[in-house]
Amino acid sequence: MRPENYRPVKHPPSHEYELYFGPNHPGIEGNYAIRVRLKGDVIIEAIADGGYLHRGFEKIMEERLWIQNVALVPRICVPDPVPMEETYSRAVEMIGGLEVPVRAQWIRVMLLEMSRICAHLFTFGGNAATIGLYTNMFWGVTMRDYFLDLFEEVTGARIYHMFITPGGVRRDLPEGFLGRLGNLLDELERRMPEFEDLFFESAVVINRASGIGIISQEQALSWGVTGPNLRACDLPIDLRRDDPYLVYPELEFDVVTVEGGDALARMMARRGEVIQSIRILRQIIARLPSIGGAIRSPLPNPLAWNLPVGEAYARTESSKGETAFYIVSDGGPRPYRVHVRGPSSMHAVQVLEKLLIGARIEDIAQIMFSLDACPPEVDR
Amino acid sequence: MSDKLPVIEDQPEICRSVDAGERSVWTRVMNRFADHCRARSLFVLHYCTGCGAIELPPTITSRFDMERVGVSPMVTPRQADILLITGYLSIKTLKRVILSYEQMQSPKYVIGFGSCTINGGMYWNSYATVKRLDQYIPADLFIAGCMPRPEAVQQVLLKLMEDIDAGKANGWQDYYNNYDRYLGNQQALFGESWHTPTDVIAEAKHYGYLADGTMGRHTDLLLKRADYALDRVPEDYPERGKNERRLP
Repeated sequence: MRPENYRPVKHPPSHEYELYFGPNHPGIEGNYAIRVRLKGDVIIEAIADGGYLHRGFEKIMEERLWIQNVALVPRICVPDPVPMEETYSRAVEMIGGLEVPVRAQWIRVMLLEMSRICAHLFTFGGNAATIGLYTNMFWGVTMRDYFLDLFEEVTGARIYHMFITPGGVRRDLPEGFLGRLGNLLDELERRMPEFEDLFFESAVVINRASGIGIISQEQALSWGVTGPNLRACDLPIDLRRDDPYLVYPELEFDVVTVEGGDALARMMARRGEVIQSIRILRQIIARLPSIGGAIRSPLPNPLAWNLPVGEAYARTESSKGETAFYIVSDGGPRPYRVHVRGPSSMHAVQVLEKLLIGARIEDIAQIMFSLDACPPEVDR
Repeated sequence: MSDKLPVIEDQPEICRSVDAGERSVWTRVMNRFADHCRARSLFVLHYCTGCGAIELPPTITSRFDMERVGVSPMVTPRQADILLITGYLSIKTLKRVILSYEQMQSPKYVIGFGSCTINGGMYWNSYATVKRLDQYIPADLFIAGCMPRPEAVQQVLLKLMEDIDAGKANGWQDYYNNYDRYLGNQQALFGESWHTPTDVIAEAKHYGYLADGTMGRHTDLLLKRADYALDRVPEDYPERGKNERRLP
């Protein structure tokens, strides 16, 4: 006889267990965690647990002057900070009606493409390290470091440049910089076959990465996937071509698409983008010396600079996907409201949770790195 | 928080007490020798707490190569010596950092990386971040700047090795000596029910660093909580029933 209020307690089956992956884990990208339910070593449920890097950017930016926010925005995405500066500056220029001089536009595109190469080299390295190929990590990070040296030469900082301001850029290029950039691009092109031997054509990578974390075209569009991850599903969508900004219409480049939609395809899409970025930078090296003029349009006193009432939505194709700022101004010295649209918050939360189901535990790190999610940008 | 918390007597001896011989000249010589050796083999916990972690791969890999000076990354806190707090700490991360710190074996060293750990840095008015790291765990060294360069990271590691060799990197002893103050700050941030699985007071007894500041009104809350969990609540306990396993 059971009592009337008998309710059997539902226990999960004993062969299922829960595991906390991260935040203190070498396989996770940055400070981020995933709660996974496992059956054997197959994942049956994954819940992303972010918030470790939350700083409240959208609120802090409301309390700073327009020009002070230039120092704040690159901190949103650490491996790829230049698109953040560019997007914020462009949104402010749209509200304030500022014209960017042509030479400044070319310098901005140059920095954007250098930053893209840096972020992709970093991702190659991280992705290789998740499957145990540490040589590639060492090479990728070192190659990126040479680009950081050039960044330091132009902007004075390795990581957070704060170089692109509303109305232009802060300084002109140093003497002989374009020649040094050309030499570095030669060096990178010389090393690309070595990267291919070691990584892209390695049997280990192809066996481990193909068929992992597949996104179909419909899923990619409905989940909000952007950037190289979208182009790895054979969808030729690129903001540089579809919604061109700065001087991208004058530059020749291909939108790299790869079939497959798995982790290997995403890596190959990034490899193609590095080659296209080298192509863009070569055109810039050829044309920038002939473009003269100012590098910054005159700003009023930045400490007492009131923008007119208005709102703007600016978007940029960063190395992670579509980065956008929505800024509302109420005519004051500070933004009234700022919204940051980061691509990684889609990739690392909703896409990652769905891709992990059915994957095996050793593939978690690889899927996360192949999506190239950037945890500081997820949490903001 | 009231000052009139009941003092709980007769705590069970969880760890052995320190022998008098352990503080002898021989021990001091041995400790000095151990410090000298420790400084030459350090493992950094692989925990990217903030954006400073972006400068760690260049520091570790071939360009700057941290292993030249005998420092290498380690994945688990139980085998790590250095906790590198790379940048700002949100409140959620600080809980994990304290858990990781208490899991590490003594002697352990903390390096605050970047201006965010010193005074809040760029996020001085953020609602989500912790402004001063050394209120919550003892920090041995800080690196100024945002972002510190890999050379600065190497320099601070060399300085830490010097300090360890000279017996000056004693932040971990300060945590045992003044645990009540650190715990009070943690409780002010996370609430009075904050507790960690590590019994720091027993560790302090074990290492012989039990001082006046180790136990106080903040640690009394922990003890009371443990008593509730073990049903060891005295009869004259104020205002709450014996069966209620919750802190007042």
